[in-house]
Amino acid sequence: MSNSSASTFKYFAQTAQKIADTRGINGKIAVFEEYLSSVEDPSDIKLALRYFTEGAFSKKSGRRAVIGHRTTQTAAAEFLEMDYDLVFKACRTATGSGSETIEKLMRNWPTGRDKRKEQHLTLSEMYEWFEKLESAKNRDEKSELLQECWKLLSPVEIKFMIRVLMQYSLRIGFETKSIIRGLAETFDADSDDVRFAYMLNGSIEETAEQLLNEDLHTVEFEFFQPVHFMLASPISSASDIDFEKYIAEEKFDGMRCQAHIKDGEIALFSRDQNDISHSFPELDLQFNQHGLNNMVLDGEICVFKNDTIQPFQLLQKRMGVKKPSKKLLKEYPVLFIGYDLLFSDQELHLDKPFLKRREQLETVHESTGLPISTVKKLASKQGVEKLFKLAKDHGNEGLMLKRKDSVYEYGQRGNKWLKVKEPAGSLDTVIMYAHAGSGKRGGTYSDFTLGINVKEDDRYLEEFIPIGKAYGGFTNEELKKLNKEIRPLIAEKYGPTLGLIPKIVVELEFEEIQVNRRTKANYTLRLPRFKAIRWDLSPDDTDTLKAVERMFEEELNRERTENSVKPAFLK
Amino acid sequence: MLFRELFGLKLVLEHSSGHGIVLPEFKIGIDTRYADMDAVFISHGHADHVTRNKKNKVYATEPTARFMALRGFKGEIETIEFSEEIEVNGAKVTFYPAGHILGSAMIFVETENGNLLYTGDFRAPASPASEGFELPDKPVDIFIPEATFGLPIYRWEDHSHYFNEITTFAREHLDAGNTPIFLAYNLGKGQEVMMALAEKNIPCMIHESGFPLCKVYDDAGIDLGDYKRINYSETEGHALVVPSSVLGSNKLSNVKRKKVAYVSGWAAHEARRQQMIIDKRIALSDHVDFYELMRICKQLQPKFTLITHTPNPDVVQFYLEKNGLRSAPLATVDSLKEYRDREQSERQMFDES
Repeated sequence: MSNSSASTFKYFAQTAQKIADTRGINGKIAVFEEYLSSVEDPSDIKLALRYFTEGAFSKKSGRRAVIGHRTTQTAAAEFLEMDYDLVFKACRTATGSGSETIEKLMRNWPTGRDKRKEQHLTLSEMYEWFEKLESAKNRDEKSELLQECWKLLSPVEIKFMIRVLMQYSLRIGFETKSIIRGLAETFDADSDDVRFAYMLNGSIEETAEQLLNEDLHTVEFEFFQPVHFMLASPISSASDIDFEKYIAEEKFDGMRCQAHIKDGEIALFSRDQNDISHSFPELDLQFNQHGLNNMVLDGEICVFKNDTIQPFQLLQKRMGVKKPSKKLLKEYPVLFIGYDLLFSDQELHLDKPFLKRREQLETVHESTGLPISTVKKLASKQGVEKLFKLAKDHGNEGLMLKRKDSVYEYGQRGNKWLKVKEPAGSLDTVIMYAHAGSGKRGGTYSDFTLGINVKEDDRYLEEFIPIGKAYGGFTNEELKKLNKEIRPLIAEKYGPTLGLIPKIVVELEFEEIQVNRRTKANYTLRLPRFKAIRWDLSPDDTDTLKAVERMFEEELNRERTENSVKPAFLK
Repeated sequence: MLFRELFGLKLVLEHSSGHGIVLPEFKIGIDTRYADMDAVFISHGHADHVTRNKKNKVYATEPTARFMALRGFKGEIETIEFSEEIEVNGAKVTFYPAGHILGSAMIFVETENGNLLYTGDFRAPASPASEGFELPDKPVDIFIPEATFGLPIYRWEDHSHYFNEITTFAREHLDAGNTPIFLAYNLGKGQEVMMALAEKNIPCMIHESGFPLCKVYDDAGIDLGDYKRINYSETEGHALVVPSSVLGSNKLSNVKRKKVAYVSGWAAHEARRQQMIIDKRIALSDHVDFYELMRICKQLQPKFTLITHTPNPDVVQFYLEKNGLRSAPLATVDSLKEYRDREQSERQMFDES
């Protein structure tokens, strides 16, 4: 690859395509490395890495070209001079992807071929287009700009241009983990160092800059730049672990939060690294009261009232509310419970073992009164079961098991942190609609709307009404069988959706029942997935909406043990 | 059963999906599965087109007849040549090469109330492992083409492009000490892959169910090269040609360093990669693409086209009508009512003309 073509967007797009077309992580990394080593200009490397990981603009910049799927797709239909509703949509249903459809039509459809003349834009010329699109004022202007830009591109460039622009995944089966390995190998750096730098600066582009400047080791923690969260891997039973090596904490029924506190300024970050400070103003007070300063805490926000951790459903009333009213603050008061200390005393603690960090957290607790989780020793499986029950009694979700010697690393780190949970419940439901999947399940009916029985419910005229949409929990074989079995049940067809005669019964597992007034049932299920397809059951055997209501109320009004009884956290 | 009448020629669909057409006035079945007829004509040997009814008089090309017998059909089959005319109850039936697989035929029925050309599955330009593709040299009244790939996202390259992908993949992985595995249907696609491999003298093994079918190709003078019935414990140095169902079994568990290519028109979809865990997608299809379908319709200028084998007949219809060609879906579950209404008005229109 000569220098001039190495900095083109086309080479980037072709590389992304090649990574998508390569099976196996090592092969993908090899393609990625070859790409990185042939791009010479440091600013091109950084831009390409941004396109690979974040999109047209860096996440930190807060910039974004606000362009929806519909705008892109109608612009494409207009460019192609093709009927949108009849033809384009049918094509998109077949592939399951708007951008792939556009790529194929640009390649195959005569207008798509004739109107384009490849100009081999560079990565930075493409960035100029992204900026223009960002500042476009309305849909017409965006559509016009998109079409102007497409005139200069090849089909594969167009596909990836759309994916980069819309800041969603490139869908090439290449995750940050692999990008970090590829970066480390290309720059001959230690991948732990690269991972560490990324955890602190939150940006592959910036990490690459450090690598290019050979100052990876100087990457420093910065206040108000969230550290990537360490996550737990799920386990269903705690049978094969070495209990001695772990401690247990209750898994609180709240939301994960990283708190940065410095010189009276406080910022709270959610799991997806968004700043959520404005939603929880009383936590400012809480931290100030405790006199906390120069500190980064990892912990949980819970609604806490009458000495009891309140259901997550109540916390939801506070989530996303920018300026909570006094009434809301009074009705749903929240508390921050710390369970890890990432920074204090001008020092980053990430590479210290858990127990050491815990010791320091306890010191903070003792001197300031900051609420922290209770840590329990583990000895046996029976012990885990007992603690699990206690957690459930407190209204919490289950247990977190943390290895005593584990350092703080981003993402799921094997079995260093484990979560023990059980599904909230299961319901027998019937398949009402099948939807053509998108992304990796494109081209088959892979999403299903499940109905709950209201045959004998006076409030409804229907026999079944939707209760949730599930798209997982089945094997490929089961999915194939389902696709076959639904065929004779098709009653109606609405674009990519099939209306089915209720026949196939599915046992649905879910995390939680939630109230949702916008739905016919007034309830939706969180994370519903197939537990089993019950070929042995008939639609008459399905659960009723009344049963759902009962389950919801039981959970909401479940007797929750007060925290002061065998406390889950220390106040 | 769905009933249609165009230009006074009556059609009944054996199944609402469009598979199996009956001409009740002549007691002729085309790809019908169960109906009792005086004569049943079979377009080609794939399972969704062959009859299960042994009592009927069945007509098929010689390769199709052999494929049917090898795959378990116990009834008698009368073999006919392309361009040979068979008369049944006053209708004249002729086979034309369909280019889909060896022996595949389009079925042309001429009656005093007009004629009909049913394509079965068809491919133009023809599969190299077939007798070619040829249209009747007469004006066609009712054209019934399959439109499996009847969307403008589908446009196939020349066969040589895919043959090249097949041999490059095989060569590359054999040289690297891997076992290249081609997922290809046992009848038709499998032999196309073998033909490609034969051109480059790459030895291959074919799945046990596909193996006996290869003899029919040999006898037709198609060079499938150096091939053997698969021996799962001695695959080294061979490219394997197996149907995709084998991946779900444990048959390949002894095969080391598998590299899998999926050969099918559906391989055009990116999503197939994740759905099937494959190393390469090769979009070699045995069906016409959208553009070829349009070209053929325009060339034929049939009085009426009935579109089948697609969830999107409306798209094909839209473009046919843009070209001044009248059409309707042969049958789709969702548009039965609209379809009958339309038929009503069409019939009136034709009666007037």
